[in-house]
Amino acid sequence: MSGAGGLLRALVLHRRDYGNTSLLVELFAQGQGRFPAIAKGARRGRRPTSALLQPFQPLWVGVVGRGEVLTLTRVEAAARPFDLGGPALPCAFYLNELLMRLLGRHDPQAPIFAFYHAALGELAAGAHLDSVLRQFELRLLEGLGYAPSLDLVVDGGTPVAPDRHYLVEPGRGTRAAPAAAAGERVSGATLLALARGEALAPAQAREARALFRRLLQPHLGPKPLKSRELFRQWRGGRQE
Amino acid sequence: MAERTLLNQLIDALRCLPGVGPKSAQRIAFHLLERDRDGGSRLARVMGEAMARIRRCSRCRTLSEHEQCGLCANPNRDPSLLCVVEQPSEIVAIEHATDFRGYYFVLGGHLSPLDGIGPAELGLDLLEARLREGQVTELILAISPTVEGSVTAQYIAECAGAAAVHVTRIAHGVPLGGELEHVDGGTLALAFSGRRTL
Ligand SMILES: [Zn+2]
Repeated sequence: MSGAGGLLRALVLHRRDYGNTSLLVELFAQGQGRFPAIAKGARRGRRPTSALLQPFQPLWVGVVGRGEVLTLTRVEAAARPFDLGGPALPCAFYLNELLMRLLGRHDPQAPIFAFYHAALGELAAGAHLDSVLRQFELRLLEGLGYAPSLDLVVDGGTPVAPDRHYLVEPGRGTRAAPAAAAGERVSGATLLALARGEALAPAQAREARALFRRLLQPHLGPKPLKSRELFRQWRGGRQE
Repeated sequence: MAERTLLNQLIDALRCLPGVGPKSAQRIAFHLLERDRDGGSRLARVMGEAMARIRRCSRCRTLSEHEQCGLCANPNRDPSLLCVVEQPSEIVAIEHATDFRGYYFVLGGHLSPLDGIGPAELGLDLLEARLREGQVTELILAISPTVEGSVTAQYIAECAGAAAVHVTRIAHGVPLGGELEHVDGGTLALAFSGRRTL
């Protein structure tokens, strides 16, 4: 459950001021999942821990308490912060927003913590943004038990063929698309690239983005994702 | 439960002040009522007027009771320099401590997608329009070196780039009189990457 003297590996998903000197942070901790914790006096003193309690900074934390909201007793840097610049930064906020919206509190979800950590590493290393985001969305849906199998057709389990088109709907799996089906068809090649974690060509990246919006939608509800809007505005600004 | 007397309402209302808990609120209320009624009345009058009349300057978004604040209305400042800060209080700090004589723009916070604070909430459309006026040649970002501050700074830098305005960010690093071994790793890393030739 924990390493180094009862400390947990954790990252801050979100934080806000609490009272005059404290912070209320939402942590995602290895083996513990997501939970809120209060960092008392984190914004006070000559070396405030608020400098460490920021998103994308790998941490060791000590927490105590029984209720929903725990109390932070120790905070230490576990590594240097992920070096996220340019459009990778709003993408990283998007990962945080997805976790805040989709992950229940105190649900351990150990594989998702590892995928999250890896995704931040890839964003920091300058990996292709769409590929990182789609792989993370797929792993997240898989971890929560919502992901359809992308490389097998739901009736009969025949393998997806790269040169054919399919319909992938939330809760209904992957089915062969009728020839007259509307624009929500996805090419088999895109599905196979996603299932294998391969790089996506530009047209495939567009198809995959639309596909995952549809797959995530029922679990996100009607409230729009703010970081997605920010990222769109960001891209819009750059193309002008 | 305390009786809903005027005295209790006053004590309760005073608790909206930062750093004022129930004990201090009680002390302040008794002090004003017993020793300084004039001061209390003046506070009430000015507070009422300030709350009703102070709004955001239409040009820089700082707090002002005028359509344009005193700084923006001053024609003797340098229109080629524009400094972006998060809070109006930071203008006061910069005015006191530096010889900066350009103009300011106040965001009122930083981008925080998870709190629903996007470019529109920070008035960035107003800032972009200001940059397109063409007078500003250097945009100085005086924004906190937090992750949210960075995303804000980078977003503004993209906008400024589109308007062909040179963007600088104030240096972050070791405090004056600070000893290196007591500085946290993040600050030290920033100070190191921002080193300059002597
Ligand atoms: Zn002004």
